[in-house]
Amino acid sequence: MSSIGATVSGESSSAIEQQVRNLIYTGCLLLDANDFVGWLGQCAPEFRYTISTYSPEIRKDQTWLDHDFEGMAHLINLLPKHNSDQTPLTRHATVYTIDYEPAANEAKVVTSVAIYATTLDGGETSLYALARYHDVVDLAGTPRLKRRVVRLETRSLGIGKHWPL
Amino acid sequence: MARGTAEWERRPALPPTHYVHPAIYTDPEILREEQEKIFSKVWYLACHESELPSANDYRAYQHPAGKSLLIARGEDGRIRTFYNVCPHRGNTLVYGPAGNAKHITCIFHAWAFSTKGDCVEITREKQGYGDRLSKKDYGLHEVRTEVGFGGFVYVNLDDSAGPLAEFVGHALDGMLKCLESEPLEVFHYHKALVNTNFKFWHDTNSEFYHDYMHYHNRQTSMLQPSYWEREYIPFPNGHAQVGDQVVKYEAYEGFKGRDLSFPGLERNGWKMVDLFPGFTYNLRGSALRIDTIVPLGPAKTIIEYRGLGLRNDTPEQRAQRINDYNSIWGPFGRNLHEDLMGVTGQGGRIGRGQSWILHAREEANKIHDEIGMRHYYAEWSRRMGRLASNPYSEP
Repeated sequence: MSSIGATVSGESSSAIEQQVRNLIYTGCLLLDANDFVGWLGQCAPEFRYTISTYSPEIRKDQTWLDHDFEGMAHLINLLPKHNSDQTPLTRHATVYTIDYEPAANEAKVVTSVAIYATTLDGGETSLYALARYHDVVDLAGTPRLKRRVVRLETRSLGIGKHWPL
Repeated sequence: MARGTAEWERRPALPPTHYVHPAIYTDPEILREEQEKIFSKVWYLACHESELPSANDYRAYQHPAGKSLLIARGEDGRIRTFYNVCPHRGNTLVYGPAGNAKHITCIFHAWAFSTKGDCVEITREKQGYGDRLSKKDYGLHEVRTEVGFGGFVYVNLDDSAGPLAEFVGHALDGMLKCLESEPLEVFHYHKALVNTNFKFWHDTNSEFYHDYMHYHNRQTSMLQPSYWEREYIPFPNGHAQVGDQVVKYEAYEGFKGRDLSFPGLERNGWKMVDLFPGFTYNLRGSALRIDTIVPLGPAKTIIEYRGLGLRNDTPEQRAQRINDYNSIWGPFGRNLHEDLMGVTGQGGRIGRGQSWILHAREEANKIHDEIGMRHYYAEWSRRMGRLASNPYSEP
């Protein structure tokens, strides 16, 4: 692993870093807009999505959602069939680290994210969840997300959610 | 035809056992009475023995009667329960939800206790108390505890209550082979803090008419002929079993049949038992879900969800059970979110204009019959001394 000071395909490190940041932040905007199809379009075919957390109660790591690309496509496709809470979520994300792995032509990215819920009736905003995105970004061609682990700090999620975080 | 206020508030022209008064879900005094007359008297499922696998493991537990308890496995292997309070000055003994400690030491004045509940240390005992007070007289306040029905830790605050087996009776007989052929292990735990009454959650677990809310269940269950043959079987003490069914998981886009199962459960089988006064064993295919509740107020409830597999699972089997469980029952599962939307919808409206809550469907005890709720409220009425449809009458 090397720092982002390295280059890929002749591009400057700052350009690669900017592309990675754009991918993460654009993804947040798509998720905020409930454009889940658009968000999945940013992901590589080998994409895998996981929501996990640690339970101090049972002293075990837990996986609460785990799908490959196809599984996420099914989940998104079926959303209109389900009864889902429509309270909008808004992400406030900060990319903390970008580590470039030249051999794999990918970057490992850690992003801190605070997710807020704003009620439709009245517009009251409250913190819904704190988490970190642990992403792997494929840098061959247009950067694409090939792995996302949403590592939740918040475990009390009220009535839960049908959407990706 | 829409109704005016007088018609809206008129008692339904139904037997008084077939509807309940909305105040049983909203009145703080009724909740206090439920905690005293029901939760303080019955056996209640607190956790699973696999949450305390080793000697000196402990688990904090918030009991639905409003008590803070501490469950610990002693060095003799036995699981015991105590009030989570120091007998010296009433301080909380354990603050975290779980841990391991040979001695549980109060942070305040360092009195210490063994996981068998004995007081083993009073700091500067002789200097302060001389012979006026002795460690042997200051053990923890122990709560009756039994482990059973799949290795679950049950507690009862009433020292004079009958044994656990008497309370559960035969309600879990149809599931016992699944629960007790092999040791179970918890793999999932989460809490949902929701604005609803605890009984709304148990009501939802006690009727399947609400499957219209679940796209997943409509596809995988309601469209299968065996669904309509599921029958409720009421048991003494307010418990009810829902008849078994085989689920067609592959009928839901992207889902596959559940190749893993439990001992004694046919492939893709589903067994469910609701126990009074509000906990549920729900076994679907490869995973067992246990629901328990902690009422914080008439319209605020913690619902605890546990997922269990077999202790001897291979890593691959365990991963499959976890995936199966969460696909429908996790915080991001297809069904649980909808169920919780339903009960918070009830919790948000009840007392703000709702009149009567109907439990009146009769379909020969089959799956859309509401006998499960009626049976529950018959026991509730017996213990509370009046009908749930008339909660302000004199006991």
